[in-house]
Formats: sequence, structure tokens, C-alpha cells
Amino acid sequence: MNLSPEPWIWIAALLTIAIFSFLIKENPFYRVAEHLFVGVSNGYFIAFMWHNVAIPVLVNPLRTATSQVAEEGLSRGLFNPVNEANFLLLIPTFIGLLYLARFFPQVSWLVRIPIAFYLGYYMGLSIPAILEANVLRQISGTMLTRASFTDWVNGMWGVVVLAGVVCTIIYFFFSREHRGALGAAARVGIVFVMVGFGASFGYTVMARISLAIGRMLFLFRDWLGIVR
Amino acid sequence: MGWIERLLTIDRRIIFAIIALVLILPMIFPFGFRTPVTPPTQKLFDAVDAIPPRDKVLTISADYDPQTEPELHPMTIALLRHAFATHTRVLVLALYVQGLGLAEDALTTVVAEFNGRATSPQDSIVYGRDYVFLGWQPPPIIPILGMGTSIRQVFPRDYYGNDTDTLPLMKETETYNDMGLLVSVSGGSAPLWYVAYAQSRYGIRVGAGITAVSVADFFPYLETGQFSGMLAGMKGAAEYEELVERSLAVGGRRKAMEGMSSQSAAHIAIMAFVVLANIGYLARRRRKA
Repeated sequence: MNLSPEPWIWIAALLTIAIFSFLIKENPFYRVAEHLFVGVSNGYFIAFMWHNVAIPVLVNPLRTATSQVAEEGLSRGLFNPVNEANFLLLIPTFIGLLYLARFFPQVSWLVRIPIAFYLGYYMGLSIPAILEANVLRQISGTMLTRASFTDWVNGMWGVVVLAGVVCTIIYFFFSREHRGALGAAARVGIVFVMVGFGASFGYTVMARISLAIGRMLFLFRDWLGIVR
Repeated sequence: MGWIERLLTIDRRIIFAIIALVLILPMIFPFGFRTPVTPPTQKLFDAVDAIPPRDKVLTISADYDPQTEPELHPMTIALLRHAFATHTRVLVLALYVQGLGLAEDALTTVVAEFNGRATSPQDSIVYGRDYVFLGWQPPPIIPILGMGTSIRQVFPRDYYGNDTDTLPLMKETETYNDMGLLVSVSGGSAPLWYVAYAQSRYGIRVGAGITAVSVADFFPYLETGQFSGMLAGMKGAAEYEELVERSLAVGGRRKAMEGMSSQSAAHIAIMAFVVLANIGYLARRRRKA
């Protein structure tokens, strides 16, 4: 055993044990660690955003623009979005501040304006990109072509994938009763769905175990020095 | 109480204790087995290997946080070792704030390893010449799109506050066209954002390093060729570490490999629990019938 002399390792180790103590039952050590985590995370995030986003992107350019006005008076350049220092930044700032309107019931409807801008922008941006990457390319990848059968293993898996996709879609097709050929295909579809769920569950177990391993290695290697 | 009821009402704390033991014992007494390399990992390794070292750069997007560090951090370290060993220049960035500290840790670790072995300035890994840490720009989609036009406009300053115009590597790296491969190491959907917004529009090749939870969702993108390769969870990271050490003789601590004995033992234990629970469930159902 080779205990770490680092105070930060000790703090992290004791907080890890405090969080793990929840596995036995809810207790004050767990609550302290949990609240500490939430507080530190929020504090870090707010301070980081202020220093790395608000100040360089908004405060500093506006300060520069204001000092330019004081020295040289208003000029067209101060309203040019290409220039880093420009007063047009006040427009998105004002729109962004409207998010706070929801705290005032009489004007809370104003929050719809920034939400509308946000949704409109991201939908316009995302719909073609997502359609191309997640739908068209996936459909094209599912199709069987002559190239799919260059070797028999690839060809066989190509057929399995196509059958899986078609049968799973049929399983989720509710406009007709699942009887006859439709019913048979739907039953095959549910097998594919279950295999998918099984694979997801297996990988989820692997992921959670990996996280536990990470913490255990920290405790037994970095803190206690038992593991070499 | 019969054995069936006992089987189905085991106190969950006993299960936690068994899992803890199953994880801890193999750490102290590892099995020492080799990790067979799976095709998705081999594909990513080959894709990184195929980057022309003096012509294109490897970009690593560290889009993860401390929660997923055990799975994803070893991937970043192994990718950096691979790139530096093959003299491939590297850009590192993060789409999430939390990834910055981890990316810096990976860079510091790997650069110290290589510079500790270097015998001349040419062998050393030099900031600005061999790698640049671009840092972070919000929100995620904007830098992804912006890098298609100008990386230096998206990142006018690097993580350390240097003007990116002054860094030699950045003078030769304008857009995605100068990247041989972009690997997003992510605990979320970031690799898909790169596929949707950067690959569809600018044709960049994308690789993914992801948590095991996401693997089933991401496999279709590997099959269609949208991902040039994929590292799946801690196992994928261990495979990549194995490939880097075996093919390039690059040593160093193998964090993912250290956990693989525990991982295997825990999987066997979980499978045993699932089988036992199903035996109990079926026996109780038969008895009720």
C-alpha cells in the first residue's frame, strides 16, 4: 500500500466514497457530495461562460466601440457586423435578454421571440443536413446493389440488414391489421427489435461497468496505491 | 421461503458488493490476456495511418467530460500517441467546455512522453509546429460549420491565448480540406454533428470514439462508410492501445487495458446474474401455473 500524499487526491477519493455510500442507503455524506457537485459545476460553468463568451464576444467589443465613439464620434464602421467592435451586437443581446421576460408574468410572452429565432435558425440549418446524413445516406446504405455481392459474406449480411429494416418498419406499420404475410413480417421485425434492444443493453452494461472501473482504479491506484 | 423466492429477493446491496469484488480483485491480480482487435478499431487505426504526415493533419475533437473519462480519455491519449509516432500533425479542439481540461491533460501527458524520449529538436514534439490546441468556441454547430470556411476565423486565438495566425501549423491549415481525418471522441452525439454538418457539406472524413452506450446507435454510420472507423467504449480504447504499442512500439501507461480484466470478470458476473434471475423467474412462473 502506497497512500497518495496529494490533498486533492484525498478530497476526490473521500467525495467518491461519499457518493458510493448511496448504494447502502441515503445519508448526509452523499447529500453533501451531491450538493457540492451541483454547486461547483454551476459555478464553474457560469464563470467560464462569463470569461470566455460574454466578455470576449460582447463586453469587450462594446467597450471598444464606446471608446471609439468618445474619441472619434459615431462612424459607419461601428454599425458594420464585419468589424469586431460594432453596436449591432446590441440587437442579439436585446433578443437574448428577452429570455428573462418569463420571470415577469405581464410580459412573459416576449420569451417567444428569442425561442422563435433559435428554432428557426436551427431548423433551417438542421433539416437538410440531418436528412442527408441520417435518412438519405442510411437508405442508400441499406439498398442492395451488385457491389453488395462482391463476396458472399457481405452479400448475406446485406440481405439480413435489408430484411431487418423492412420487417421492423412493417412492425411499426399500424394502418393495417398484422395478419397473414404482414403479420409474419411483423413477427420477424420484433425479433430484430429485440436483438437491437439486447445489443443496447449489453453495451450499456459495458459502459456502466467501465465507469465503475474508472473510479475503482482511481481509488485503488491513485489514492491507496494498491494497484500497480 | 423457498430457494426460488430467495433467488428473486436477493438484497441489491449484496449484488453491489459482489460487483465491487469482481471489479477490484482483477485489478490487483490481472489475468494478463491479449485484446483481439475488432474491425471498427482496425479501420480507424488504418485511417489515421493513411494521413499523409506533411500534407494533412489529424483533428481530435475532445467532446467528452469527466463522467465518461474512463472510457474516452484513453482513446484521446492513444490517438495522440499514434499521430506523434507517425509524425502526423494534430489539431485538438473541444465542442464542450468540460472537454478542455481533459484534452489538455492528454496533450501534456503524451507530449511529455515523446519529449522525454527525444534525442534532438527534430524528434521533439513542438507546440505550433507539430500540434495546436485550438480550445473551444460555442455553440457546437457554429464552429463545425465555420471550420469549413476558415479555422482561424473560428479560433482567432488558441487555448493558451496565442494568435492562431502566428502559429506555423495554422498557416498551413485553412479549412477541412487540410484535414486528413477528424476524430470526435464523444460521450454524446458530436460525431453525428460532424457527419451531418461537416461531412455532408465539406466532405471531411470522420472517425468516432464513443461510449459503449452509444455503440448500437452508431454502428449504422460505420456500415455506410460515414464513419471511417470507430472506437467502442473502453474495449475499443484498449484495442487501439494494443495496436499502437504492437505496430508502432510506442509505450506508455495503457489506462483502458488496465481495466479490461475487471471488465471481463464483471461481464461474466452480470451474465451469471441474468441467467440466475431468469431461472428464478421461470421456476416461479411454472410453480404458479
